[in-house]
Amino acid sequence: MSTAAVANKRNKWMGGESPFDISYGKMMMWFFLMSDAFTFGAFLISYGTIRFSSPLWPDPNAVFRAFPGGFENAPLMFVSLMTFILILSSVTMVLAVHAGHCRDKKGVVKWMIWTILGGIAFLSCQAWEWIHLNHEGGWWGSFRDGADMSHLANFFAATVSPQDLATYGADAAHKFFNFFFTITGFHGFHVFSGVVFNIMILVFTMNGVFEKKGHYEWVEKCGLYWHFVDLVWVFVFTCFYLL
Amino acid sequence: MGHFNDYEADQSRLYNLGHVEDINSSESKAKVKGIWKITGILTIITIVEVLGGLMLSETADASGMRWMLNTGFIILTVLKAYFIVSNFMHLGDEKKGMRLLVYVPLTLFIWFIIAFLADGSWWLWINENMGYSHPA
Repeated sequence: MSTAAVANKRNKWMGGESPFDISYGKMMMWFFLMSDAFTFGAFLISYGTIRFSSPLWPDPNAVFRAFPGGFENAPLMFVSLMTFILILSSVTMVLAVHAGHCRDKKGVVKWMIWTILGGIAFLSCQAWEWIHLNHEGGWWGSFRDGADMSHLANFFAATVSPQDLATYGADAAHKFFNFFFTITGFHGFHVFSGVVFNIMILVFTMNGVFEKKGHYEWVEKCGLYWHFVDLVWVFVFTCFYLL
Repeated sequence: MGHFNDYEADQSRLYNLGHVEDINSSESKAKVKGIWKITGILTIITIVEVLGGLMLSETADASGMRWMLNTGFIILTVLKAYFIVSNFMHLGDEKKGMRLLVYVPLTLFIWFIIAFLADGSWWLWINENMGYSHPA
């Protein structure tokens, strides 16, 4: 075979260039996010398994009906606000990534600040919701033998009979809150670390690190992580608040 | 060796990271407009979901049509996920091989969800039919 024939058969997989035209760091971020998706997936699916095996389950419209300021009958309103905040902070992140593509330092700084503020706002909302539910008696391991059951009926639909509530209510609420605090806690921790990464990116941008590097790809990589956090919330929202 | 050093030190030559767009170009403005359009779509889907959860929940439970409402929620959720991954995470702009590398492993979830929910239902059935909660 002549060398010319070999040269003709060269393809992107023979080395020297990236077959997927993607940098090492970005590809590893995608792989990490996939593994994280399976972790969250396992959490949510185990929630589904336990829920399917339970004769009774708390009603989201009853559990999540409070709004800061003393409103006790605003089902799903607060969590909708949280969802909207997270979507908006995802949007400001895409705008930061776009500004990075254009090497527009001022734009990256502006949109990163908004993204960080959105993340902090979301975490604050979550803290409020956790504290509120904790005041009603919900926590890891709550509603077990001898626990205070005075708020138990609050978590179920009004149509549930007192007998069913007495038989299955405590066990269902116990499982529900274990999953709720574990999964939203794990997600909240992701949001928290995302905010930390975003603050780092903001500082690097302001110090001109990316100007010097010649590209803003770190903004993109952190952006992927941040969007993933939003993506997970989309599924948490459906599983806990809608279904 | 020189080439190898370049490879390690400056990936931007390999992956076209040096490509710069102009923030004031019409192309850039169109992209920003597209981002806000997706924002609008995500917002509308979320509002529809919340309204469905608020207004249709009781009717669905009472009429035994809960599964229809839930199917609607799941379709809307997957739609939202698609918009976020494809547009916000720019996976739609990656090469086909890269897209498949992400999407194909995720199809495991199809089996995962079916198997585990079936398992949950089975436990409910066995507890209700063969449980020891009502000793004679």
